[in-house]
Amino acid sequence: MAFFRGEQGSVKFEDTGSTATAITSTRSWSMTVEKDVLETTSLGATYKANVGGLIAGSGTVEVLYTASSSDETNVFIEAANTATDAGVASFELFLDTTGTKKITFVGLITSAEYSATVGELEVITCNFVTSGAITLSI
Amino acid sequence: MAAANLNTIRATIEQLLATELALAPAYPVVFNNVPYAPTPNSTWVQCQLNFGNNNYLTMGGTTGSSNSIIGIILVNIFTPKGAGAGANFTIGKRVRDVYNRSKVSGVIFDAPTGPEVMAPPSPEGYFQTQVRLTFETFEDL
Repeated sequence: MAFFRGEQGSVKFEDTGSTATAITSTRSWSMTVEKDVLETTSLGATYKANVGGLIAGSGTVEVLYTASSSDETNVFIEAANTATDAGVASFELFLDTTGTKKITFVGLITSAEYSATVGELEVITCNFVTSGAITLSI
Repeated sequence: MAAANLNTIRATIEQLLATELALAPAYPVVFNNVPYAPTPNSTWVQCQLNFGNNNYLTMGGTTGSSNSIIGIILVNIFTPKGAGAGANFTIGKRVRDVYNRSKVSGVIFDAPTGPEVMAPPSPEGYFQTQVRLTFETFEDL
Protein backbone atom coordinates (compact mmCIF):
# COMPACT_ATOMS: atom_id res chain seq x y z
CA MET A 1 0.00 0.00 0.00
CA ALA A 2 1.31 3.41 -0.92
CA PHE A 3 1.45 6.12 1.70
CA PHE A 4 2.57 9.67 1.26
CA ARG A 5 4.38 12.13 3.51
CA GLY A 6 3.88 15.85 3.61
CA GLU A 7 7.26 16.68 2.11
CA GLN A 8 6.07 15.06 -1.11
CA GLY A 9 3.60 17.88 -1.59
CA SER A 10 4.10 21.22 -3.29
CA VAL A 11 2.22 24.29 -4.47
CA LYS A 12 2.08 26.05 -7.81
CA PHE A 13 0.53 29.46 -8.41
CA GLU A 14 0.14 32.11 -11.08
CA ASP A 15 -1.71 35.30 -10.32
CA THR A 16 -2.96 36.06 -13.84
CA GLY A 17 -4.32 32.61 -14.48
CA SER A 18 -1.72 31.34 -16.90
CA THR A 19 0.49 28.29 -16.28
CA ALA A 20 1.20 27.97 -12.58
CA THR A 21 4.80 27.82 -11.37
CA ALA A 22 6.27 26.43 -8.19
CA ILE A 23 6.13 28.39 -4.95
CA THR A 24 9.50 27.91 -3.30
CA SER A 25 10.03 27.20 0.38
CA THR A 26 6.50 25.95 0.91
CA ARG A 27 6.19 24.39 4.35
CA SER A 28 2.61 23.19 4.28
CA TRP A 29 -0.73 23.52 2.60
CA SER A 30 -4.25 22.53 3.46
CA MET A 31 -7.57 22.84 1.72
CA THR A 32 -11.19 22.28 2.63
CA VAL A 33 -13.86 21.66 0.01
CA GLU A 34 -17.31 22.47 1.31
CA LYS A 35 -20.73 21.86 -0.15
CA ASP A 36 -23.83 23.76 0.83
CA VAL A 37 -26.63 21.59 2.10
CA LEU A 38 -30.22 22.22 1.11
CA GLU A 39 -32.91 20.58 3.17
CA THR A 40 -35.67 18.88 1.19
CA THR A 41 -37.60 17.28 3.99
CA SER A 42 -41.22 16.69 3.14
CA LEU A 43 -43.99 17.82 5.45
CA GLY A 44 -44.84 15.01 7.82
CA ALA A 45 -41.58 13.15 7.27
CA THR A 46 -39.86 11.52 10.22
CA TYR A 47 -36.33 11.99 8.95
CA LYS A 48 -34.68 14.98 7.39
CA ALA A 49 -33.65 14.89 3.76
CA ASN A 50 -30.91 16.97 2.17
CA VAL A 51 -29.42 17.59 -1.22
CA GLY A 52 -26.08 19.05 -2.07
CA GLY A 53 -25.81 22.65 -3.18
CA LEU A 54 -23.02 24.93 -4.26
CA ILE A 55 -19.42 23.83 -3.77
CA ALA A 56 -16.56 26.03 -2.69
CA GLY A 57 -13.07 25.57 -1.38
CA SER A 58 -10.73 27.42 0.94
CA GLY A 59 -7.40 26.77 2.50
CA THR A 60 -3.99 27.84 3.65
CA VAL A 61 -0.44 27.76 2.37
CA GLU A 62 2.52 28.31 4.70
CA VAL A 63 5.68 29.68 3.13
CA LEU A 64 9.08 30.31 4.72
CA TYR A 65 10.24 33.83 3.95
CA THR A 66 13.32 33.81 1.70
CA ALA A 67 13.26 37.32 0.22
CA SER A 68 12.70 35.66 -3.13
CA SER A 69 11.79 38.23 -5.78
CA SER A 70 12.56 36.57 -9.07
CA ASP A 71 9.75 34.05 -9.17
CA GLU A 72 6.06 33.68 -8.42
CA THR A 73 6.70 33.23 -4.71
CA ASN A 74 6.96 36.96 -4.15
CA VAL A 75 3.73 37.54 -6.07
CA PHE A 76 2.07 34.86 -4.00
CA ILE A 77 2.94 36.37 -0.63
CA GLU A 78 1.93 39.86 -1.75
CA ALA A 79 -1.27 38.86 -3.55
CA ALA A 80 -3.51 39.68 -0.60
CA ASN A 81 -2.49 43.32 -0.87
CA THR A 82 -3.52 43.88 -4.48
CA ALA A 83 -6.02 46.69 -5.03
CA THR A 84 -8.19 44.84 -7.49
CA ASP A 85 -8.33 41.10 -7.76
CA ALA A 86 -10.36 39.43 -10.47
CA GLY A 87 -10.02 36.07 -8.75
CA VAL A 88 -8.39 34.40 -11.74
CA ALA A 89 -5.20 33.09 -10.16
CA SER A 90 -4.22 29.51 -10.97
CA PHE A 91 -3.60 27.19 -8.06
CA GLU A 92 -2.25 23.65 -8.08
CA LEU A 93 -1.85 21.82 -4.78
CA PHE A 94 0.20 18.65 -5.17
CA LEU A 95 0.04 15.56 -3.00
CA ASP A 96 3.03 13.76 -4.44
CA THR A 97 6.26 14.53 -6.25
CA THR A 98 5.25 12.86 -9.51
CA GLY A 99 3.07 15.85 -10.28
CA THR A 100 0.00 13.80 -11.14
CA LYS A 101 -1.84 13.84 -7.84
CA LYS A 102 -3.15 17.33 -7.39
CA ILE A 103 -6.03 19.70 -6.74
CA THR A 104 -6.48 22.35 -9.41
CA PHE A 105 -8.64 25.43 -9.24
CA VAL A 106 -8.88 29.14 -9.89
CA GLY A 107 -9.12 31.45 -6.93
CA LEU A 108 -7.65 34.31 -4.99
CA ILE A 109 -5.57 35.00 -1.94
CA THR A 110 -7.79 36.54 0.72
CA SER A 111 -5.35 37.16 3.54
CA ALA A 112 -1.71 36.87 4.48
CA GLU A 113 -0.15 36.76 7.92
CA TYR A 114 3.47 37.84 8.13
CA SER A 115 5.35 36.98 11.29
CA ALA A 116 8.79 37.08 12.83
CA THR A 117 9.67 35.47 16.15
CA VAL A 118 13.08 35.49 17.82
CA GLY A 119 14.91 32.22 17.25
CA GLU A 120 12.44 30.93 14.68
CA LEU A 121 12.18 30.95 10.92
CA GLU A 122 9.97 33.66 9.48
CA VAL A 123 6.72 32.26 8.19
CA ILE A 124 4.07 33.76 5.94
CA THR A 125 0.62 32.18 6.02
CA CYS A 126 -1.61 32.85 3.01
CA ASN A 127 -5.29 31.98 2.95
CA PHE A 128 -7.21 31.45 -0.26
CA VAL A 129 -10.69 30.74 -1.57
CA THR A 130 -11.69 29.13 -4.82
CA SER A 131 -13.61 30.77 -7.63
CA GLY A 132 -15.27 28.27 -9.91
CA ALA A 133 -14.64 24.60 -10.49
CA ILE A 134 -12.34 22.50 -8.35
CA THR A 135 -10.64 19.58 -10.08
CA LEU A 136 -9.55 16.73 -7.86
CA SER A 137 -6.95 14.55 -9.57
CA ILE A 138 -6.13 12.51 -6.56
CA MET B 1 22.79 24.17 -4.35
CA ALA B 2 23.90 20.88 -2.96
CA ALA B 3 23.82 18.78 0.13
CA ALA B 4 25.56 20.39 3.09
CA ASN B 5 29.24 19.62 3.57
CA LEU B 6 29.49 18.88 7.27
CA ASN B 7 33.25 19.23 7.27
CA THR B 8 32.97 22.74 5.84
CA ILE B 9 30.54 23.65 8.60
CA ARG B 10 32.81 22.08 11.21
CA ALA B 11 35.85 23.92 9.87
CA THR B 12 33.97 27.24 9.90
CA ILE B 13 32.98 26.80 13.52
CA GLU B 14 36.35 25.56 14.72
CA GLN B 15 38.29 28.22 12.84
CA LEU B 16 36.42 31.00 14.60
CA LEU B 17 37.51 29.69 17.99
CA ALA B 18 41.04 28.85 16.88
CA THR B 19 41.52 32.35 15.50
CA GLU B 20 40.24 34.03 18.65
CA LEU B 21 42.34 31.95 21.03
CA ALA B 22 45.45 32.44 18.90
CA LEU B 23 45.31 36.11 19.85
CA ALA B 24 47.20 37.28 22.93
CA PRO B 25 46.92 35.88 25.47
CA ALA B 26 46.85 32.70 23.38
CA TYR B 27 45.74 29.33 24.69
CA PRO B 28 45.88 25.84 23.22
CA VAL B 29 42.59 24.63 21.76
CA VAL B 30 41.84 20.94 21.37
CA PHE B 31 39.17 19.82 18.92
CA ASN B 32 37.36 16.51 18.46
CA ASN B 33 39.58 13.44 18.17
CA VAL B 34 42.85 15.34 18.46
CA PRO B 35 45.36 13.86 20.93
CA TYR B 36 46.43 16.28 23.64
CA ALA B 37 48.22 15.78 26.93
CA PRO B 38 47.65 18.91 29.03
CA THR B 39 50.42 20.22 31.20
CA PRO B 40 49.38 20.14 34.88
CA ASN B 41 48.18 23.53 36.14
CA SER B 42 48.11 24.97 32.64
CA THR B 43 45.29 26.75 30.84
CA TRP B 44 43.71 25.13 27.83
CA VAL B 45 40.43 24.88 25.98
CA GLN B 46 38.58 21.90 24.56
CA CYS B 47 35.97 22.29 21.81
CA GLN B 48 33.51 19.53 21.01
CA LEU B 49 31.14 19.92 18.11
CA ASN B 50 28.17 17.64 17.56
CA PHE B 51 25.66 17.61 14.77
CA GLY B 52 22.21 16.85 16.11
CA ASN B 53 18.70 17.10 14.76
CA ASN B 54 18.05 17.52 11.08
CA ASN B 55 14.58 18.63 10.10
CA TYR B 56 12.51 19.13 7.00
CA LEU B 57 12.11 22.81 6.29
CA THR B 58 10.19 22.81 3.05
CA MET B 59 8.23 20.51 0.81
CA GLY B 60 9.99 18.83 -2.07
CA GLY B 61 12.13 15.82 -2.89
CA THR B 62 15.85 15.51 -3.37
CA THR B 63 15.96 18.77 -5.31
CA GLY B 64 14.35 22.13 -4.75
CA SER B 65 13.91 21.54 -1.05
CA SER B 66 15.57 22.66 2.17
CA ASN B 67 16.55 21.05 5.44
CA SER B 68 17.61 22.45 8.77
CA ILE B 69 20.79 21.15 10.37
CA ILE B 70 21.15 21.84 14.07
CA GLY B 71 24.18 21.17 16.22
CA ILE B 72 25.74 21.98 19.54
CA ILE B 73 29.14 23.36 20.45
CA LEU B 74 30.60 22.52 23.86
CA VAL B 75 33.64 24.50 24.90
CA ASN B 76 35.38 23.34 28.08
CA ILE B 77 37.75 25.86 29.63
CA PHE B 78 40.44 24.57 31.99
CA THR B 79 42.47 26.86 34.21
CA PRO B 80 44.78 26.12 37.17
CA LYS B 81 43.09 24.79 40.30
CA GLY B 82 43.03 27.07 43.35
CA ALA B 83 43.64 30.28 41.40
CA GLY B 84 40.10 31.66 41.45
CA ALA B 85 37.56 31.91 38.66
CA GLY B 86 38.55 35.24 37.09
CA ALA B 87 41.02 33.99 34.49
CA ASN B 88 38.66 31.22 33.48
CA PHE B 89 35.69 33.54 33.07
CA THR B 90 37.80 35.94 31.03
CA ILE B 91 38.39 33.16 28.54
CA GLY B 92 34.73 32.27 28.78
CA LYS B 93 33.80 35.78 27.72
CA ARG B 94 36.11 35.53 24.73
CA VAL B 95 34.49 32.24 23.73
CA ARG B 96 30.99 33.67 24.10
CA ASP B 97 31.86 36.75 22.10
CA VAL B 98 33.14 34.63 19.22
CA TYR B 99 29.76 33.08 18.55
CA ASN B 100 27.12 35.13 20.36
CA ARG B 101 24.15 35.60 17.96
CA SER B 102 26.45 35.82 14.97
CA LYS B 103 26.03 34.43 11.47
CA VAL B 104 29.15 33.27 9.65
CA SER B 105 29.20 31.48 6.29
CA GLY B 106 25.55 30.53 6.63
CA VAL B 107 25.93 29.15 10.15
CA ILE B 108 23.69 30.90 12.68
CA PHE B 109 24.84 30.81 16.29
CA ASP B 110 22.35 31.11 19.13
CA ALA B 111 22.92 32.86 22.43
CA PRO B 112 25.53 30.91 24.45
CA THR B 113 24.97 29.35 27.85
CA GLY B 114 27.70 29.66 30.48
CA PRO B 115 30.48 29.70 31.39
CA GLU B 116 29.04 27.17 33.81
CA VAL B 117 31.27 25.68 36.49
CA MET B 118 31.70 21.93 36.01
CA ALA B 119 32.17 19.92 39.18
CA PRO B 120 33.96 17.64 39.28
CA PRO B 121 36.19 18.69 36.42
CA SER B 122 37.13 16.20 33.76
CA PRO B 123 40.04 15.66 33.68
CA GLU B 124 40.70 16.25 37.39
CA GLY B 125 43.22 18.80 38.60
CA TYR B 126 41.75 21.91 36.95
CA PHE B 127 39.07 24.49 37.46
CA GLN B 128 36.66 23.79 34.61
CA THR B 129 33.83 25.78 33.13
CA GLN B 130 31.74 25.08 30.08
CA VAL B 131 30.28 27.37 27.44
CA ARG B 132 27.75 25.73 25.17
CA LEU B 133 25.54 26.91 22.39
CA THR B 134 23.45 25.59 19.57
CA PHE B 135 23.87 26.48 15.93
CA GLU B 136 21.74 26.05 12.85
CA THR B 137 22.46 26.00 9.17
CA PHE B 138 20.25 25.41 6.16
CA GLU B 139 20.77 22.84 3.47
CA ASP B 140 19.34 23.66 0.04
CA LEU B 141 19.00 20.65 -2.20
